[in-house]
Amino acid sequence: MTGSKIRSGMTRLVPYAFILPPMIYLMVFMFWPLARQMYMSLTNTRIINPNRGRFIGLGNYERLFDDPAFYLSLKATLVYAVLAVVFGVSLGVISALAIDRPFKGRAIVRAILLFGWAVPNVAASLIWLWMYNDRSGVFNRMTEFLGLGRFPWLTSTELALGSILAVTVWQVAPFVMLVVLAALQSVPHEVREAARIDGADELSTFRAVTLPHIRPAIQLASLLVCVWSIRRFDIIYLLTGGGPVGTTSTLVVKIRQTAFEGHELGMASAYGAVGLVLALAIAALHYAVEQRRMKWMSR
Amino acid sequence: MPFKKLTLKLLRYLLIGVLVVLAGFPVYWMATTALSLNSELYGSGQVIWPQVQNLPELWRELGQVPIGLWLFNTLLIAAGGTVLSLTLGSLAGYALSRFRFHGRGLVGFLLFMTQVVPEALILVPLYAMFITFGLLNSLTGLVLANVGFSLPVACFVLKGAMDAVPYEIEESAIIDNCPRFGVLTMIILPLIMPSIAAAAVVAFFAGWNEFLFASTFLMDRENWPASVGLASFVGQYETPMSAVMGAALVFSIPAIVFFLLIQRKIVAGLTAGAVKG
Repeated sequence: MTGSKIRSGMTRLVPYAFILPPMIYLMVFMFWPLARQMYMSLTNTRIINPNRGRFIGLGNYERLFDDPAFYLSLKATLVYAVLAVVFGVSLGVISALAIDRPFKGRAIVRAILLFGWAVPNVAASLIWLWMYNDRSGVFNRMTEFLGLGRFPWLTSTELALGSILAVTVWQVAPFVMLVVLAALQSVPHEVREAARIDGADELSTFRAVTLPHIRPAIQLASLLVCVWSIRRFDIIYLLTGGGPVGTTSTLVVKIRQTAFEGHELGMASAYGAVGLVLALAIAALHYAVEQRRMKWMSR
Repeated sequence: MPFKKLTLKLLRYLLIGVLVVLAGFPVYWMATTALSLNSELYGSGQVIWPQVQNLPELWRELGQVPIGLWLFNTLLIAAGGTVLSLTLGSLAGYALSRFRFHGRGLVGFLLFMTQVVPEALILVPLYAMFITFGLLNSLTGLVLANVGFSLPVACFVLKGAMDAVPYEIEESAIIDNCPRFGVLTMIILPLIMPSIAAAAVVAFFAGWNEFLFASTFLMDRENWPASVGLASFVGQYETPMSAVMGAALVFSIPAIVFFLLIQRKIVAGLTAGAVKG
């Protein structure tokens, strides 16, 4: 900090006058609830009287680790997050590369490609529910027209997760595209031209020149998509409600259902604790990648 | 060589065409469905272009859905959350941008952490807390819960903008013994208006779209925001699908317009938080 040479006891307190109100707010409405959630997972709290649960030690966790539904939920969460990253990021990168160079109507194309990201989750859920509708939805009308018959998009154990993934990819790919487009602007045009003049084909130019420039953006977008997939509640809850037979019940859906349909707040909190560990693991991974990149950049 | 170039060009346009259809179709279908008659939707099959002549019919159907009240509640929730998160976010952003103090690293880490915590994790404790303080079933409680997540994003966006403001600009005011709070509100904030607008749009639409907290904390129908109201159409068949899609469209249009207007700023904000934490 340049210029601030006067350092009396008073001026040393000034930053705290600014940082304390927001931090106290977060303590009350974010970190205290998080801590309380950890404690609640050790109690038998029920919804009838959420402030009075009895301490039961690790009882909830013992039940949790004995319950096949828990492993199903964990599996659904991980599979969903990984596939959302794989497909969402690939489609986002492809979209960014497709519209990177100027062409006529680029602004409109760019706007349309962002629709999935801009439509509110609940509205998106309603549209896709209608499109997946068994008798009258556009997908089944199309497959029937093609002679393939109707598909139970949201009610079959084989298709449900894939159907939800389609909605997710529609929502996150535009964000990835924007992040990658921003990074593509930093690729020096002359270098690409030079590579092409030297006889390099599209693919090797991409690998040698473009990819190194956009790799950090892709990494960052992947981590964000992963975190968001673990957090995502609304579209899964509204499209399948976690079904059929738990194949789409990710941890967050499970938390809400255990708490407000099963009325077991303690048990729901145990699910929450597992979710927190998962979220922190990804945050740590993210942090490590970020540190390595900083080192690499300052070299 | 020219032939190969032409093929590549054609392939590229084909790819763009496919992407546009994939991305645009659901929204197109929402509009087309809204403008259809119910007899078409469930019977013979949907007309695949928007029938604008059905607009009066859609208007009549929407009159039977309390979409106006829902949107009004949504507006209150979104606006309240915006004001609160911008106020607190600019304080935090200023502290992080202009001062080195004990605990600065911890503050940065905690703010970063809020970005990976799923909302569902604090759902149950907040529910218990709101019962104690009588905040259950109130819009105030909902706003307080939402701001926990939008405040850090606002802070990251505003801190980034403040970092770009040279210190010399506020230096003379500080030497003249102007209080630091005055420096923030009268010198810094007016200089970063575009970023404030961006942070406001992000916070506003976070509140606009929010569903998990709203559907858990608000029981009375007259308190429902549009997200919860629209979700109540799932699995019930009294409301015609064209009205459902019409309401969804009305709910989506403001979000689409604003997201498209400030897309770059939103991306900068969301990624800045994740990078600099």
